[in-house]
Amino acid sequence: MSSKKTMLRRRTFLGAGLSAAVAGASIACGGGGRNGAWRFFTAAEAETVEAIAEQIVPADRDAGARQARVVAYIDIQLTRHFKRYQKAYRQGLAGVDRASRAKFGKRFAELAPEQQTEALIEVEENSREFFDLILAHTRQGFYGDPRHGGNHNRVSWKMVGLPFPPVRGRQHYEDQPKVG
Amino acid sequence: MRRALAAAALIVAAVLLSVPGATLYYESGGGTGCLKCHEMQTLYDTWHSSSHRGIACEKCHGGALTMDARFHWNNVTRVYSHLRGDLPEQIGFPNKYVQTMVERCQECHRQEYAAWQTGPHGASYARVFLDKAHNTKNMPMDDCLRCHGMHFEGGIRDLVTPVNRQGPWSLVRPELANKPTMPCLTCHQMHREGPPLKKTSVEGRVPGPSQEIARPSLAWFDRRTEQYIPVSDLPMPAMLEGARAVKMSPDRRQALCYQCHAPMATMQVGSGDDRTGLGVHEGISCLACHAQHGQKTRASCATCHPKMSNCGLDVEKMDTSFASKDSRHNVHWVKCQDCHVKGVPKKKEQTVQAGE
Repeated sequence: MSSKKTMLRRRTFLGAGLSAAVAGASIACGGGGRNGAWRFFTAAEAETVEAIAEQIVPADRDAGARQARVVAYIDIQLTRHFKRYQKAYRQGLAGVDRASRAKFGKRFAELAPEQQTEALIEVEENSREFFDLILAHTRQGFYGDPRHGGNHNRVSWKMVGLPFPPVRGRQHYEDQPKVG
Repeated sequence: MRRALAAAALIVAAVLLSVPGATLYYESGGGTGCLKCHEMQTLYDTWHSSSHRGIACEKCHGGALTMDARFHWNNVTRVYSHLRGDLPEQIGFPNKYVQTMVERCQECHRQEYAAWQTGPHGASYARVFLDKAHNTKNMPMDDCLRCHGMHFEGGIRDLVTPVNRQGPWSLVRPELANKPTMPCLTCHQMHREGPPLKKTSVEGRVPGPSQEIARPSLAWFDRRTEQYIPVSDLPMPAMLEGARAVKMSPDRRQALCYQCHAPMATMQVGSGDDRTGLGVHEGISCLACHAQHGQKTRASCATCHPKMSNCGLDVEKMDTSFASKDSRHNVHWVKCQDCHVKGVPKKKEQTVQAGE
């Protein structure tokens, strides 16, 4: 009887342990994918930011803000150095979409390029602070170091003809053998 | 009391089992499981279109069924960082993993590994940073890490002590002593876009029309941006001899070589660490003579000589640095005039000019 009790306890223990492990794993696994590919933005917000950035640096013969993945830069930095701007972005982007809907009946990202330009001029006039913020961040994401999330494939550096990484030798203290 | 102990044991067991349990769950999806952690999306995308896409994540990055407590602890800290929202700008690859990767590359690329390990690019941290002959002339500096130990997290003071030209020098982290400073991941990006990997044919391994020139993974790990720059994007310098533009080989792979074997800003051949071919070897690719991975040159002369010899002499025995390190004539820059100091004989000079 005592042995059966021990067995039952052991089975219960193992069962409960495994269940807890599975539950723990599920909690850990379930924690991911909050916003799809984005850290801070919702999918809709990311579309709006991308459209605004592309209006600021449009693609022509060279890459624009979309190809430079400026939105990725802003998204990453909003969870790091730009945490203080989270509220400004949430409210500012909602405002941009609200204004677009009021004027054209569609979200900003769904507008035609000419309509986007018109809507953005309005944002510049009515929400100057937010416009300046996203303008500055777009420039940073487009021209900055790719390690921070933007300037994907160094597109802006290629545009300005900046060879990277530079071919750069080192001066040795000892004399180099003479050529020729 | 017993119940409390059992409950505590249960919690500990659950926590301990949940870590490999979760990792196993992630692995079971063949890569897609890793995407549950959404920060991995970019890495997954690049791997999925890379030449290594047929190789599962755990093959290179290690599997969950390991007794290595650090591996599991690392995963726990990552989950904690993830849940806190404290994420790095980009998912990096620490030096210790780079070193582990070298061993895993070897499992499939054995010949390349053997050639690299026995060549100059297989040099260890001790060999590079504790070299008395070098350190007494050239003080160890942060810039050394651009080409040696580019994956090392930290500056020269975190690696070598003392940082001066007097020594004696030792490594701050002695465990790195025998680790390579230029591992596979210096010139190869595993997630680089390219067709699925196929084994190189026998013809592809030897010089000739079927020789394989480049692998899709060829890229330079840039320490400053912590990113890989594909060979096609790397700049090729326009080299000069005095004011004269030097004829350059069109071989794009050389752009990798020039990242470390680079000239000074004057772009003069032979300045800085440059070894661009000049004289009789002008216009020849570095890789025409230096074998991939091993950099050995011993067998390379026969590719062109004696067919292209102007003197009818055995080029391997000529007075150049190829035959002897002490020779005044560096084989990279040797010219006919170096031996024919009174002038190249007319007949041969004409032959040389016609050859140009």
